[in-house]
Amino acid sequence: MIEFTEEQKLIKQSVSEFAQRKIAPIALEMEKNKEIPQDVIKGMAELGLLACTADPAYGGSGLNAVTAGVIAEELAKGDCTGSTCVFYLVQAAWGFLLNKYGTEEAKKEIFPKATAGDWFLGIATTESGGGTDVVGGKTNIKKDGDFFIVNGEKMYISGVREAATNGGGHITIAHQTLELGSRGMTVFYLPLTAKGITPTYIDDLGREGISCGGFSIDNVKIPKHYIVGEENKGFYIIHEGYEYARALIAVICAAAGLKSLENGMNYVKERNVFGKPLAKFQEINFRLAEHYTKLEMLKRLGYEALRAIDLEQEGKGNRFETSKIVAMSKMFASDWACEAINDVIQWQGAFGYSRECPDQAAWRAVRSFSLAEGTREVMKMIVSRELLGKELISYK
Amino acid sequence: MADNKDIWVFIEFKKDSIRGVSFEILGKAKELAKKSNEKVCVVLLGSNVSKFCEDFSYHGIDRIYLCEDLILGEYLTETFSSILINLIKEYMPSILLFPATKLGRDLAPRIAAALETGLTADCIELDIQDGNLVQTRTVYGGNYLADIICPNNRPQMATVRPNVMERSEALEKNQPEIINVPIDIEPNQLKTKVTEKIETTVIDIKPIDEADVIVSGGRGIGSKENFKIINELAEVLNAAVGASRAAVDAGWISKSCQVGQSGTVVCPNIYIACGISGTTQHLVGMKSSKKIIAINKDPNAPIFEVCDYGIVGDYKVIVPLLTEALKEKLSQY
Amino acid sequence: MRFLVCVKQVPESNDLKIDPNINKVLKKGVSTIINFFDQFALEEAIKIRKEGDEIIAISMGDSETKSTLMRCLALGADKGILLNDENFLESDTFGTSNILAAAIKKIGDYDIIFCGNSTLDTGSGQVGPEIAEILDLPQATYTESIENVEIGKIKIKVQTDEGYSIIESMLPLVIAGIPPSYYQPNIPPLPKIIAAQKKPFEVWNAEDIKGDKSKFGSAGSLIKIIKLYKPPKREQGIVITDEPKAAIEKLMELLNKDKVI
Repeated sequence: MIEFTEEQKLIKQSVSEFAQRKIAPIALEMEKNKEIPQDVIKGMAELGLLACTADPAYGGSGLNAVTAGVIAEELAKGDCTGSTCVFYLVQAAWGFLLNKYGTEEAKKEIFPKATAGDWFLGIATTESGGGTDVVGGKTNIKKDGDFFIVNGEKMYISGVREAATNGGGHITIAHQTLELGSRGMTVFYLPLTAKGITPTYIDDLGREGISCGGFSIDNVKIPKHYIVGEENKGFYIIHEGYEYARALIAVICAAAGLKSLENGMNYVKERNVFGKPLAKFQEINFRLAEHYTKLEMLKRLGYEALRAIDLEQEGKGNRFETSKIVAMSKMFASDWACEAINDVIQWQGAFGYSRECPDQAAWRAVRSFSLAEGTREVMKMIVSRELLGKELISYK
Repeated sequence: MADNKDIWVFIEFKKDSIRGVSFEILGKAKELAKKSNEKVCVVLLGSNVSKFCEDFSYHGIDRIYLCEDLILGEYLTETFSSILINLIKEYMPSILLFPATKLGRDLAPRIAAALETGLTADCIELDIQDGNLVQTRTVYGGNYLADIICPNNRPQMATVRPNVMERSEALEKNQPEIINVPIDIEPNQLKTKVTEKIETTVIDIKPIDEADVIVSGGRGIGSKENFKIINELAEVLNAAVGASRAAVDAGWISKSCQVGQSGTVVCPNIYIACGISGTTQHLVGMKSSKKIIAINKDPNAPIFEVCDYGIVGDYKVIVPLLTEALKEKLSQY
Repeated sequence: MRFLVCVKQVPESNDLKIDPNINKVLKKGVSTIINFFDQFALEEAIKIRKEGDEIIAISMGDSETKSTLMRCLALGADKGILLNDENFLESDTFGTSNILAAAIKKIGDYDIIFCGNSTLDTGSGQVGPEIAEILDLPQATYTESIENVEIGKIKIKVQTDEGYSIIESMLPLVIAGIPPSYYQPNIPPLPKIIAAQKKPFEVWNAEDIKGDKSKFGSAGSLIKIIKLYKPPKREQGIVITDEPKAAIEKLMELLNKDKVI
């Protein structure tokens, strides 16, 4: 397991205390109210967790990927609903991208508000027509003097209500030069309070403390300083944001699964059936051992992926190795965690099936991660491509 | 070291009476003295304490060290410790026992450091083995017990937890020797002084630290008014009312009733926990109670793991029924 | 003014394993935290700190103890000192107090020494008063808050067996702090954690602090643990899940049978 620095250990301790004290006691309530309470968001902001990967010059904490992972792990342990985990991870991953490729003006405008918990910062690339096939998206962006005009729609996006109501927006990708296909896409920041954005909301299965929805984009005008990276070169940089998010997700799935296993373990030690604790039955304790092993493996691989990202940012890594290890870390993350939590629910019998049980919330949250930020199928495509070569395995 | 002999008990007072724990320690001291064939002495410090010599003449002790002076009217570490240190150096006891009250825990380590001798805090058992005082205390939140000795230094010092030892029984009157200790401390030599005293224990609230029976309420009680239900049960049992930290923080009951790690550690014969989930911090404060009865709505509450008898249910329904049943039962006596 | 804060790193959970053959608790690999009362003491020092005042956090421990001192720096201490030497191992409270007192003497000038009233692991509450005696300073245990502080004098609120007292004392003074029941320890935020890495941090060994070595470690131990063992296990209790009336009947029957009432 990766050795944490003194600084990372202290950060881990602080986030753990915050998550256990402020989030864990109200986690299920967050789902009932369908929102993260303001004092939790402000608390996260005061600790320096929001958009933590942004430079301190803009109000961020300037953290690297491994440190961002440490925070994600502790939030996952405290929040069985995964709501604050998603809230945090999209800001960390896409804040990283904005910090690296965004304009000075955009960063000065967006980060102080995002780090203070006033504005939401998320990602919106999925459309109702498709998510995996990013190039197949219909949304387009056109230059118009000092502005750009955007048309299209996005769907199944986290944080639509948060951004549309309180302020903030999403990192978005669209076609600027359609005939060039992947070589003509542009990444930009799209404020959800802009004129021409019409949000809709979706009731999804889990992580109910953070909203899910879509929005239509009708001749929305954005200033040129919202463009992230070079025009038409968006497809080449967006993977950096996805990879950051994927590696964080791997750690989150491992942490959530291990936390559920801990709940399950405490339960089976105490609960007696036929005169002995459930834990004594091999069907239970063997499964516990298997799930624990897999999730610990997953956690290690998640941190390895985060470290690969850091090494690459420092100029010491290899683009393809990083891409491969990130995809490897996310490939089974959701499935393994779901399998473990599924058994934890089973062990708890009827209580496991009730809404009072934190593990059912964890299952519903973790289930989303084989879909979000790149499906497990995409992970398999990436790894097979890295192994067999792009001549044999292309995206077409 | 071989010249040290006699077992001394520091007597603590509460307002104008002898604090109960003093008699518990005295009881133990007498038991130890029989084993080691030593004298039992009590040490009295205060401004108006000579009148208590009469009380102690009914407990079969050998000697009273009487330190009486106006300057000892208020407890101050510097006055009490300097007097005791000199007294100990002069008379050389082999064992010196204090109550593990706030006063005792403030005073004893000061004296131990001055005399460069060993001190064991918060003892729940004392014994004599091979010429040494074996001191037993809980460690690691009560998860373990440690037996400790002070092999090479005298006096062997210990603070003793209230409500654990058997009280000394009153016997036929005897004539303990009374040593009047001269006190020579100038008030202007002192570095500290008490400028104000605030009492939080309301007169008609029975204090928890020495109660035989405690009925305790936690977060599950829900409000200040609802504590009435707890009080009614306590009254029938002539018990003290206790509370978990959650109930105290919510403002439903006085802090002096708080049982737990940051409140008082209690050891009653019976502890009835109502609407208390049983956090580790609370359990540390009451799990050495002789019998624990727990009432809670949540079948998974940790309190059920340490109780002797538990009822899963709403205390609002259960406790009044229990109060009735006990009232009836006790009226038969 | 200069405030010294003595802190201890303790196991996070008291659920520990022991080696009964050597009467010791096994602490390797156990996660640790700052003693709850010590953080309160540090926060009290930070509360009364004015421009130009210095707060030094001191801890006796092994190399892992650095984390606790770094946390103190992240919370607001200006400097951290770790007292680390194999001669310090196996110290009882008297040994610990002598080591801390020697380090304090080496620091030289100070106005208040803060400690936590007791620790969560061994909880004897002896170190504060023992340091005070060794340094010949007045002490105030069970201190809940500081009412007023000026050069040479302080007014504090202490818990007593009857309630509270307000005590006036000359400085320097040793304060052993105990938090009020509503106290929640501060969580060091990330920017302060990052800044703490740059604050001064020193490690002192037995040579550095001088002092009387015969009083340190196991050599200077005045007490000896002759046995460390689990208390007799509480028998599993009977949990009744019947309807209220029936439940009470059952309970009364049991209490009667077991002669509890």
